Amino acid sequence: MSERIFRKILVANRGEIAVRVIRACREMGIVSVAVFSEADRAARHVRLADEAWPIGPPRAADSYLRIDRVIDAARASGADAVHPGYGFLAENAGFARACEEAGLVFIGPRSQTIALVGEKTSARRLAVAAGLPVVPGTLEPLVDDAAIRREAERIGFPLMLKAAAGGGGKGLRLVASAAELVSAAGRARSEARSAFGDDRVYVEKALVRPRHVEIQVMADHHGNVVHLFERECSIQRRHQKVVEETPSPLLTPDLRARMGMLAVALVRKSGYVNAGTLEFLMDESREPYFLEMNTRLQVEHPVTELVTGVDLVKLQIGIAQGEPLPFAQADLVQRGHAIECRVYAEDPDAGFLPCPGRILALRVPGGPGIRDDSGVEEGDEVPSYYDPLVSKLVAWGEDRASAIARMRRAVREYKVLGIKTTLPFFERVLRHPDFLAGRIDTSFVERLGREKQAEEERPWAVAAAAAAIGALARRRAARTTPGAGPAPSAWRREGRREAMGGRG
Amino acid sequence: MIFDAAVDGQTHRVEVTGSKGRYTVAVDGRPLEVDWREVGGPFVSLLVGGRSHHVALEPRPGGYRVLVDSHDFAVDVLETTRDAVLAPRGPAGPARLVAPMPGRIVRVLAEPGQEVEAGQGLVVMEAMKMENELRSPRAGRVVEVHARELQTVETGFLLVVVE
Repeated sequence: MSERIFRKILVANRGEIAVRVIRACREMGIVSVAVFSEADRAARHVRLADEAWPIGPPRAADSYLRIDRVIDAARASGADAVHPGYGFLAENAGFARACEEAGLVFIGPRSQTIALVGEKTSARRLAVAAGLPVVPGTLEPLVDDAAIRREAERIGFPLMLKAAAGGGGKGLRLVASAAELVSAAGRARSEARSAFGDDRVYVEKALVRPRHVEIQVMADHHGNVVHLFERECSIQRRHQKVVEETPSPLLTPDLRARMGMLAVALVRKSGYVNAGTLEFLMDESREPYFLEMNTRLQVEHPVTELVTGVDLVKLQIGIAQGEPLPFAQADLVQRGHAIECRVYAEDPDAGFLPCPGRILALRVPGGPGIRDDSGVEEGDEVPSYYDPLVSKLVAWGEDRASAIARMRRAVREYKVLGIKTTLPFFERVLRHPDFLAGRIDTSFVERLGREKQAEEERPWAVAAAAAAIGALARRRAARTTPGAGPAPSAWRREGRREAMGGRG
Repeated sequence: MIFDAAVDGQTHRVEVTGSKGRYTVAVDGRPLEVDWREVGGPFVSLLVGGRSHHVALEPRPGGYRVLVDSHDFAVDVLETTRDAVLAPRGPAGPARLVAPMPGRIVRVLAEPGQEVEAGQGLVVMEAMKMENELRSPRAGRVVEVHARELQTVETGFLLVVVE
């Protein structure tokens, strides 16, 4: 493949990942083109990009998932490459093919590789051929309830139902017994249909208290393949990761090297290029089973960047330009420890229900070893149409204990008003004895939810005092200036409008 | 001024005296000396007996959402020197299940007259691409069902009433 230099890149995404890619473009002197739905006209990625093109109504199906509109915007803007981010069209082979046919470089693997590896059952067959251990289950997608029932009985309960085209926890159901199978299958298929336009599912045996460890890989167009070690992703809710870290407290150097070799073997076998991630489940005996491969940049890529010193987005762009990898496997080392907390617009006290709305006030932490990859600023709206990820807070430390201490410090500095976020939940995770000891598995969040938090740990008296003084100040101000609170500012007006049940 | 402040499921008597940023606050009779300084928008710096707290106050129906350091509180405030007593709140009376977020109703699992358990799923809503099961806040009989399948609803929309 001959080298070419990109002049302009279209970022086919929104939110924090669009911001991340736009920042890389600016640092590389490449013109960035944002696309936006009607709900995102004033979003941060639009403000930070050099150019921005509208691609349709708020619903993702009418905008960010519309291949034709994204390609039209790329053509109209004169972009020579497209970065898909993660989610939306990132693992859509049809989109990669449409880019190729339009003469645009898709920053990711070739379309036929996405089709081969991105479809979960064909990836499992490929993994078996490359010598990777896989979780027992079906190797072909299932198209109807009768086939699902038959395979479920063969494999036994508990089992996982998964969307063949899936990813990001969508279309995924844990089924404990035969009685739950029909309704779980219905929901998994309807979610898969709306998220991926494909309702085929497959069945996998559910491991007991599994851990989720993944390997980052990078491959260029010249046959060079490296892995950038692991990420531990066992802290999940609804099968979506919320806290990730690297190195994994579970892996020994031998196991790490073995998993890295397995990952590189699959990448070579499939002729894969650019960034990818192999997800593994590990049972209590620390035996790794290949789960699936994500043919894109991962949400949690920053932790790898902090311990390896590699900018994965710039590397993706370099590879897409035809450049060889600038390092070999032996050049890569893990330095220190990094943790990411995903700040979601969700209420952790209400089962992580999404909590969209306007961010009335925002204070973002800084200081040594802290990185905040955010899609929003104060005053921005978190729309209800998309994934509720607001920001990724990442901490680096010389070892695991100092990374955790630094993250706790940063979570304490982080303030978001107007919406509920997962920040208070992280405060609980980061001081839990099991987390501190590295005793984590995918049921950690559920266990944490059942544990009652000791009330004396919470500064409720300060909260009560603050609320009472606030109420006092408000009453006094109302007496002197009827209808006005103290310092009538935007956030107070907003709050009052909500208090009166109004909508603005 | 005396308030009843309900926080973390407990109601505390809170008496506030003072002005202009210097307050004495007695919480259940325990006095706190509070130095209060507004620092822009909803943010307040509190010094409580020498301890520094970064606090934010967001008005909400019935009181405030209060962030204290990394903790999130919902505090209901009622002025007892003017308002009568705390309205009785508890398991008695009908429970209203409202939409906690804007979204689309995917399935309605309850019908009028049906007996339900506390925690039983009543409505499945889709928001932010996830299906969320909304559960009955209490055991009882379903008396009203306003949710219709495929309907798009706003936050606060009354879905089901359980008596």
